[in-house]
Amino acid sequence: MRTLIRWAAQLYPQAWRERFAGEFDALLEDISPSFGDLCDVLRGVLRARLSPPVHPAQAVVASSSLILRGPVVVSLTAHAFLIVVVLTAAVHYATPILPPSYSAPLPPPAPEPPPLVTDARVFPNAWTLYSTLPLVPTEKDAPPMHVAEGVGINFIALPDIGTLYRWGNSEWRVWPGQALERFIVRRVLPEYPRDTATTGATSVFVEYLIRRDGTVKVLRSAGPTSFTKAARRAIEQWTYRPLEFEDRRCQVVSRVEVRFDGELVQNDVP
Amino acid sequence: MSDPTILILASLAEGDKHGYAIMEDILAFAGIRLGPGTLYGAIARMEERGWIRAVKSEARRQPYRITAEGSAELKRQLALFGQVVRTGNRRLKEA
Repeated sequence: MRTLIRWAAQLYPQAWRERFAGEFDALLEDISPSFGDLCDVLRGVLRARLSPPVHPAQAVVASSSLILRGPVVVSLTAHAFLIVVVLTAAVHYATPILPPSYSAPLPPPAPEPPPLVTDARVFPNAWTLYSTLPLVPTEKDAPPMHVAEGVGINFIALPDIGTLYRWGNSEWRVWPGQALERFIVRRVLPEYPRDTATTGATSVFVEYLIRRDGTVKVLRSAGPTSFTKAARRAIEQWTYRPLEFEDRRCQVVSRVEVRFDGELVQNDVP
Repeated sequence: MSDPTILILASLAEGDKHGYAIMEDILAFAGIRLGPGTLYGAIARMEERGWIRAVKSEARRQPYRITAEGSAELKRQLALFGQVVRTGNRRLKEA
């Protein structure tokens, strides 16, 4: 589909291609284009070919070629559209759509116990408390373990690696958090929000997207506002190595529970 | 609210973004996914009108920045929407 859209983008006027072709191509690398996107690009081609420019000075130059080229462009685009429809139907007929394969291997076990990155008192029995990475403090001069006090991260059970996840027109892959551990490059732990009067344990749930370049964007979160803000701020600083599923770089969705225990924090802060 | 112009201006009001970041941001705050043709059609026209401008970048992904004219246009459109929302709400209560 990406190739078809690139081909359709060749129908844009030359001036448009000279100005936008590079970044448009980069955008296509970032998204998972659908048939709807192809139609959208073809509509964009038509608009670019037929709409008059905003500035009158440019209109003078453009109008003469518009009259001559308009019908030709419409005809070419209509033919291109028909060819695309026929090709897409033929491809789907020849290769029926199968459910995605869930056979991606799980990461191998860590060779030795990795360092503790969250406060073990928060989630006493979860093996997901541990990471192969050193802790990155959120405050410059804070001791490394300070931000972990009273804060724990638990990876939520999710479907198998690679399960399709749809949001609007986007299609992403699900990847359980513990399996993502071997891809993580940078982790920042949430800091306990000092401006809250809440005591005891508070959990927030965060769903996040790992983009193709490994950076993270939080999609949604649930929980008290000051705690979700702290969790979102930290998680959006996480970085992963680019992820691949079935030999293709993909965008991945995962979920974590971040638990803040106010009593543990208050006991340790002077 | 599906006008790509106001959505893109609202997205860039937060800071400079490239095409993909604009798409993702709009999906997050408005639940609308702009297609690549719609996005770059709007970007081309908005740049021509002087509402946004490309920021110098070495990367293939070209970031854009909202201009003073763009901010004024966004304010104008938001004021219009605000008026429509207030009128609609008032009439719903009256009905």
